[in-house]
Amino acid sequence: MGGRNEREIKAIYVLVLLIFALFLAAPVIRLLMESAVTETGLGAGNYIEVLTGRGFLRALGNSVTVSVCSAAIATTLAFILAYSIQYTNIRPKGKQLIRLLAVLPMLLPTITYGFAIIYSFGKQGLITRLTGRQLFEIYGFGGLLFGYVIYTLPVSFMLVLNTMAYIDKKFSVVSRIMLDRPAVTFLQTVLRPLMGTLAASMVQCFFLCFTDYGIPASVGGEYDVVATVLYNEMLGSIPDFNRGAVVAMMMMVPSVVSIALLKYLERYNVRYSRISNIEIRKNKARDRFFGAASALILLGMLSVFAVIFLVPFVEEWPYRIAFTTEHLTDVLRDSSLLGVYKNSIFVALSTAVSGLLVTYGAALATARSHLGNRWKTVIDSISLVTNTIPGMVIGIAFLFLFSGTPLQNTFFLIIVCNVVHFFSTPYLMMKNSLAKLNASWETTASLMGDTWVKTVVRIVTPNMKTTILEVFSYYFVNAMVTVSAVIFIAGARTMVITTKIKELQYYTKFNEVFVLSLLILATNLAVKGLLGYLIRRKGEVKGYEKKKRMLCAVCGRFGLPGLRGGLLRQQR
Amino acid sequence: MLELKHIGKDYDGVTVLRDISLSIWDGEIVSILGPSGCGKTTLLNLILGLTEADRGQILFDGRDITREPMEKRGFNIVFQDYALFPNLNVYKNITYGLRNNPGVSTEQEVQELIRLLGLEPHLTKRIEQLSGGQKQRAALARTMVMKPKILLLDEPLSALDGVIKESIKDKIRQIARDYHLTTIIVTHDPEEALTLSDKVLIINEGGISQYGCPDEIITKPETPFVQEFILNQLEIKRNNIFRLFSRDGQMQAQAV
Repeated sequence: MGGRNEREIKAIYVLVLLIFALFLAAPVIRLLMESAVTETGLGAGNYIEVLTGRGFLRALGNSVTVSVCSAAIATTLAFILAYSIQYTNIRPKGKQLIRLLAVLPMLLPTITYGFAIIYSFGKQGLITRLTGRQLFEIYGFGGLLFGYVIYTLPVSFMLVLNTMAYIDKKFSVVSRIMLDRPAVTFLQTVLRPLMGTLAASMVQCFFLCFTDYGIPASVGGEYDVVATVLYNEMLGSIPDFNRGAVVAMMMMVPSVVSIALLKYLERYNVRYSRISNIEIRKNKARDRFFGAASALILLGMLSVFAVIFLVPFVEEWPYRIAFTTEHLTDVLRDSSLLGVYKNSIFVALSTAVSGLLVTYGAALATARSHLGNRWKTVIDSISLVTNTIPGMVIGIAFLFLFSGTPLQNTFFLIIVCNVVHFFSTPYLMMKNSLAKLNASWETTASLMGDTWVKTVVRIVTPNMKTTILEVFSYYFVNAMVTVSAVIFIAGARTMVITTKIKELQYYTKFNEVFVLSLLILATNLAVKGLLGYLIRRKGEVKGYEKKKRMLCAVCGRFGLPGLRGGLLRQQR
Repeated sequence: MLELKHIGKDYDGVTVLRDISLSIWDGEIVSILGPSGCGKTTLLNLILGLTEADRGQILFDGRDITREPMEKRGFNIVFQDYALFPNLNVYKNITYGLRNNPGVSTEQEVQELIRLLGLEPHLTKRIEQLSGGQKQRAALARTMVMKPKILLLDEPLSALDGVIKESIKDKIRQIARDYHLTTIIVTHDPEEALTLSDKVLIINEGGISQYGCPDEIITKPETPFVQEFILNQLEIKRNNIFRLFSRDGQMQAQAV
């Protein structure tokens, strides 16, 4: 590749930069300007107004409090689940079940979580009726905490599980030979190597809670958080766009801080290249304890979702509890709802395909070209920035920039927004995989007469199949469940399921909400299943890599590659 | 004939090669020998055309090819890690070049190469099913199908075990002889260089320490570097092996 001037890759590079200049830099700059526009010209007036107003500061305080609590709880629970898998002799089938169930919530939009909580723990909720009393107040802190924990547990679980797999288990053996007490062994050989990841998980969960809109939209109640303030300033009864812009800018502050923290924490990651397997010491009591704890955690989480399967299939919850498929057929017959479902599929597919092309192009430029390091850093920085910006902020920035243009209310805008918003993780997946491929392929193939494009098509792409499928599925699922950004840019004609759910909430049509949620879940499961099958089928050929793949499959199935401390984002 | 005239190369202001001049005759096997970081791989890349020289000239059969791109020169290389394509089986790897240049080798010539390198039993295998030596031979065949004017080999033996090493050495020698092919090999192992090649180019700190046939190098080392690092190393090896065998002999003598 070196001898030639790499015209193709330069063209791709310029194209990628153009996309992000138009659909990331420009909207954000516009947002910044809006936040500075006051009646008396440009200035910090809006900022002073918002920051000195009591509402915002209270919401900020609430956001921080509930996000910190959720992050701590989610990380602790995730640790227990991961420990059950990596350090106990629970049967493989049981471990497999934990892996599967723990990440299931990722396939549903967060806005659904809230409604599921209402129908489980509300006054007439399923769990409330089963236990005979309401366990906690669902509107406000309790509901938010519960929803956020469910939302962030899968992400935290995958992070912790991944690092735990790479901890050198022989440390434990050495520690035991040195006659350490069990508590010391645990502290030194499990907890300490995990500290960086646990901290990263906390930061990550905090960021996700802080910027999520779906959960407060349903169970926030009177407990205002920054996301609800932002929504109300923009699309509430008395919108104030300039104040909204300020709140959006303020929402970026914790995001930037948390990403900076994550970057800093990366250096504490364990860096073992291989997974070491040793026999885990026999201990029935330990196995039982962790088995029970994991079961409890997962049951608690899944019990919330039971209502999604229940409510749409009874006549009128909670008054007439007889089985019916009426609601389901109603939705399937309702052409407007079906149209929304079709829109979602179209958006998800288009996002997956375009996202694939953009991340592949960008990663080819950084991982397999001889562009100068300074040029490559630009793309890495873009990836970092997209990772930093909350979905709501991108959505609002798009709203400002593209309102009144022919792009307003188009699918194109939603698709581009998704591609930009979720760029970071799939880009890093692509880049890591491309960097692992043999560095001499391009040279070798070009000596045999290939053009660069031919080599990419014939050699590089066939060897990237697994990653390509993973990236596709990551984009697809995220496009299906995201609400935070699209809520600001989806129009009447371009409504997708998640924004429709928000609308149905307004008319309290919860049967429809749950049926639509089920459609999302079923679609995501089908796509995941199909792609997972394709990935596994490919994996089987490479039998020698099977062990490694088994672990990657967990992450791969949910689109999270070698997350060993890598920045990972699963925002809604 | 390949001629290098006063070749020099810098990276970020640091000179990695300075004033390299030499001639390689058609059909010769030449090893480029030196410690890691001496510039030998850079020299290989310069000849291949992957890197451009900052100073000097490269001539092939009297023609100046200094500014000619890699694809035009008609040389070819087998990389240290073979760079075989894992999505294609062995046969498709070997015949990859024919997709772009259908006439470059006939079917018969391809079969001849496959036979010469003993690859018949492996043609339908996947790359990861091959051993190191088999990979090396497959990569060699793939390159030879392109009928290179010069064959470049980057550390062809360093990843192989003892016995396999010797058999690959034989194959390289046989190919160079049968095809009258100029072959340039990069290696850090003096034993390898001196037993495999017609001439050895010893490089140290970016300059030529000595260029000559193995015999000259052993008997008339021209620089302290050749004496201290190349010959002493071989001396130690020889003594070790002699000691091993003499002890063996003593023990046999005692047993009798």
